[in-house]
Amino acid sequence: MVSNVERVFQLVKSQAQRVGKLVLLSALPLSAQDQSDYYRTVTLETPPGVNMEASGLAVLPDGKLAVSIRKGEVWIIENPSAEPPTVANLGYKLFASGMHEILGLAYHEGDLYVTQRSEVTRLRDTDKDGVADEYFAASKGWGVSGAYHEYAYGPVFDREGNMHNTLNCSMGKVWDGAGDEAKHPLWRGWSIITKKGSTTATGFSAGFRSPCGIGLNAEGDIFGTDQQGNWTPTSPIMHIRQGAYFGHADALKDAKRPDSPVKPPAKILDGITVAEAVTQVPGYCLPAVWLPYVKFGQSTTGLRCDLTGGKFGPFEKQMFVGEFVLSGVNRVFLEKVGGEYQGACFPFVSGLQSAVLTLNFLADGSMIVGQSNRGWNSYGSKSFGLQRLVLTGKVPLEIQKLEAISGGFRFTFTQPVKAADWTQTKAQSYTYLHTAKYGSPEVEAQPLQLSDWQISDDAFSLTVKCSNLRAGYVHEFELPELSSTNGKALWHRLCAYTLNKIP
Amino acid sequence: MLLSLSISPARSHPLQAEPINHAYVFNFDQFNLPEDPDEHVIEGGYLLLAELNCTACHAAPKAWQERLAPKQGPILNGVGSRLDADQLWLFIRSPQYRKKGTQMPGMFAGEEGDAAKVEALVEYLSSLKQDTPKMPAGDGAHGKELYHKVGCVACHEPGSDFRPEKVPAEMEVEKPGNASVPIAFADVYDVNSLAYFLKNPLAHRPSGRMPDMRLTDQEAADIAAYLHVGRQPEKATERAALKIPPQGIEKGKQTFQAMGCTSCHQSEVPSEGRSHPSLASLNPAKGCLSTTQPTGIPRYDLNDLQKRAIKLALASIQKGEAPPLTAAQKIDWQMSRINCYACHDRDGKGGPEDPRAQYFTSNDATAESLGELAHMPPNLDNTGRKLTRGWLEKILFGEGGSVRPYMNTRMPNFGKAQTEMLLDLLPEADKREKPVKIDVSGLEKHHRAEIGRKLLGTTGLACVGCHGLKDRKSLGPPVARLTNTVARLQPEYFKELLLNPQATQPGTMMPPMFMGRKTADKDVESIWTYLKELEGQSLPEGLISTEDFELKPEKVGKPIVFRSFIEGAGSHAIAVGFPEGVHAVFDSVQVRWARVWKGKFLDAMSNWQSREMLPIKPLGSDLKELPAATGTREFSGYRLSKDGVPTMLYTLDGKAVEDTLRPVNGGFERTVKINGSTTKEVISW
Repeated sequence: MVSNVERVFQLVKSQAQRVGKLVLLSALPLSAQDQSDYYRTVTLETPPGVNMEASGLAVLPDGKLAVSIRKGEVWIIENPSAEPPTVANLGYKLFASGMHEILGLAYHEGDLYVTQRSEVTRLRDTDKDGVADEYFAASKGWGVSGAYHEYAYGPVFDREGNMHNTLNCSMGKVWDGAGDEAKHPLWRGWSIITKKGSTTATGFSAGFRSPCGIGLNAEGDIFGTDQQGNWTPTSPIMHIRQGAYFGHADALKDAKRPDSPVKPPAKILDGITVAEAVTQVPGYCLPAVWLPYVKFGQSTTGLRCDLTGGKFGPFEKQMFVGEFVLSGVNRVFLEKVGGEYQGACFPFVSGLQSAVLTLNFLADGSMIVGQSNRGWNSYGSKSFGLQRLVLTGKVPLEIQKLEAISGGFRFTFTQPVKAADWTQTKAQSYTYLHTAKYGSPEVEAQPLQLSDWQISDDAFSLTVKCSNLRAGYVHEFELPELSSTNGKALWHRLCAYTLNKIP
Repeated sequence: MLLSLSISPARSHPLQAEPINHAYVFNFDQFNLPEDPDEHVIEGGYLLLAELNCTACHAAPKAWQERLAPKQGPILNGVGSRLDADQLWLFIRSPQYRKKGTQMPGMFAGEEGDAAKVEALVEYLSSLKQDTPKMPAGDGAHGKELYHKVGCVACHEPGSDFRPEKVPAEMEVEKPGNASVPIAFADVYDVNSLAYFLKNPLAHRPSGRMPDMRLTDQEAADIAAYLHVGRQPEKATERAALKIPPQGIEKGKQTFQAMGCTSCHQSEVPSEGRSHPSLASLNPAKGCLSTTQPTGIPRYDLNDLQKRAIKLALASIQKGEAPPLTAAQKIDWQMSRINCYACHDRDGKGGPEDPRAQYFTSNDATAESLGELAHMPPNLDNTGRKLTRGWLEKILFGEGGSVRPYMNTRMPNFGKAQTEMLLDLLPEADKREKPVKIDVSGLEKHHRAEIGRKLLGTTGLACVGCHGLKDRKSLGPPVARLTNTVARLQPEYFKELLLNPQATQPGTMMPPMFMGRKTADKDVESIWTYLKELEGQSLPEGLISTEDFELKPEKVGKPIVFRSFIEGAGSHAIAVGFPEGVHAVFDSVQVRWARVWKGKFLDAMSNWQSREMLPIKPLGSDLKELPAATGTREFSGYRLSKDGVPTMLYTLDGKAVEDTLRPVNGGFERTVKINGSTTKEVISW
């Protein structure tokens, strides 16, 4: 009878897909408001003949910007906030070259670290002529079979000074020339740690598919992003900690190793929901936040915590996450409930010139976005580039944060808001399938039963009771049209809270 | 659908599938359950009346004739060359015994005189000889691959010793929940006849229920070699024991006619002329629906659900109801009859169940990022307004309709008679309420084709990132090439899709490139114009490689260090090219200089431009392999001298080593420092 269960499932799935797509159509035009009212986009001119496929951005102590690019170079931009942003004003200098597809860059204790396909390399300019002359292997030991999808990202450094990277699971054709690594590339689909003082990486957490972003929050905890596909129902943001398993079954091969901190589950279960997987798959950890597919784009990339102290707007200490297909950036609020991170995502900007791969904040508090769409397409049709988002001074009315509270939710706005017809709120909860199939529809969707909307005395926050909260489900809201007490309309009305635990 | 780790590979070959104890109609079993309500099951009843060929004998009322038209049974010309007399005897005497699940009804209940009739039929059919062309010798191992990849297992049983490539190593391969269409005759035919049948199944079975998989002679022979397990055909010992004397071919012909065989099997024998009760006058408690069938009444071994379905359908037909069908319903009906649903879904119905879907695979690793689109047959929503009539003909019963070379599965040919009605029905069913307007004249402005070409290129909308054109692959995933767009797609659909991809083709990977674009209308029309005038035009930027990626140290004037996948030096290789025209590559896993060569250095295209990241070959000449490494080595990096020459740094048995190559006299001088002591050697070749 499996087949008939299947049949029903397929019907549900195709309906869910359709519903999902309809929502997309209303979500894609994003907002009636023009994002340039709040954030000005400055497109940095790039040196002629250089494909500035920016894959990593590190801000140096003197305010200069180091940019790694996919062809294997590191460039230094002397005055990244210069305007007009011409090549001459910005001041580009080639710092290092000849490396193998760099997809991440960090500045740590005086040195630049780049992540190549097969190695994290520490770059030093020992003779101070402005060009790196020492390429030191700071971390290696993961497998590279030659398959095209074996990307490596990072690094970030934790509070103890250990280095962390994320590694794609292997996809595509292996190359016999890779030797033993063609037979089994080690630690694919894992995050790895390189202990301070060591240059050998070992597994730290497992079950990633294409974890294109790794970053720290304000507290120094490590977060990673991933992209929809098999075992990854939609793009997640996960709290990376030792021994966590995030669901991609390919990573389990290495969980059997004696040095694995992840205990392999006894069974692989395919087709249960992620909410069920928490109890049925030992060791499985839910991500802190799911970014619902299409509504928040299709592939998350780099992430960065806003530590500008408010210079970038009222989102201090929140995370900003790159989005490949929509060529944009989403925003994420995290809180701890029951000792674990969970939180909400909000649309931020979209329609940049090319796929966003990485982002950072410059000394002046503007956001710098690095772009490249090589190999996949994006809404932004340029192949690569760098853009800055600069706060205009006009602060948008936004949902600043969305918190889970006992029996409901609290929305906090960036400005005081007027009462609205809350019954017009569209709200639903749903979860995803834990499956080897490519992506998952939103399943077990249910409208939220909302009541008791209350605006706080200072009008900055709004609480609502919900009688059908479900742990392990995404709770998605589209607020009604809403304005601040001085008449400004709400910029983005959509948000989605991943309620792993009910407070 | 919970999968566990326990494995029980008891039956491994497709011929060892679970037997089915009723006449098997795939789509009836797929879409009907005992708990389904009558108004659902009745549809299954109509399907059985048509697919089990009830209407071949029992004429349907006029209003039902088109829908319930019988299908043509197997053509028996040459059957005597394909099956030996014993096999014919076993099958005719009791089809459900010899081929579990067959739709061929049993006509003999073992009554007085049956033995002689069966013998006569065997004698007649054995006389129907035909030469089978000689097929090539098959390779069973390759046949096994093909059987599990080209689409056979959408309907037939997968071998349990074949692992679909995507199933994780720890996971048991899930078995299909639905029964498989039986293939018990595969090893009753001789292997040459089986190969010939697989090559052209429509010749013997014009109903297309076994479609033409568009196999080459060799492929058909390979699959035949896999399926033909080489078992000695069962001997009909009972037949020998009966010792029935020869009945004569003429008696066989008469029996063939008298038993009603001609109703389904076209042959030289004229049809019986005997009249059967019409469908409208049948008693649902009798005949094939009663518990036993005497000789002369077809026995299908219908199960309870099938009987219920047929009774419901008969009752409705006998009431005189003949609900008119819309075009969409007619398509659904035909897709159910010939089982398009085994592979495709349309309007939320159909598509393979998961355990079968896992055998649909892609042959192109770069297609991975397309997800299911890389290997699953396309969803058929809106197909009628998507494809041109000409292209539908190619796909359904013509040649050259495939635009997805990255898929292993093939779109089979079901035969013109089974599919040509779709040419009219699909456009009618899928018509858009408000037609999209597109100007395809190409006349409005000069240079529209050129504008279109620019839009397709990397500095335009970068369509070539995913779509190839003519003989050029795309720069990224291998989505359908645009070469045949104008012949294949209706222009209105092309525009509708581009303006709002997700609404037009849910699940497509096509990004919304034109949403909110002010010049969208004109741009789409310009691209169409370019694709229409493709012949003789130059290709979009990106597909024509205008850049030169060769690394030339002699131009730079100093050494070039370049890390990549490099042949002969592994996936952690560091190549160094010198202006002097001698080059070397260091393997940082084995921690040794692996190869040296002369002349040209490397082409950086793989690192700099493509997504595939293919290994790079040293250019140039005089390639020399260097000796293997000794001792325990650990790579620690490299340092560049003022003139750009790298010194490789590593440890050898715990001692720090600095290892440098510098060009001298057309070769290298190698300097190795260990713990402060220096040795030099010359490498010349």
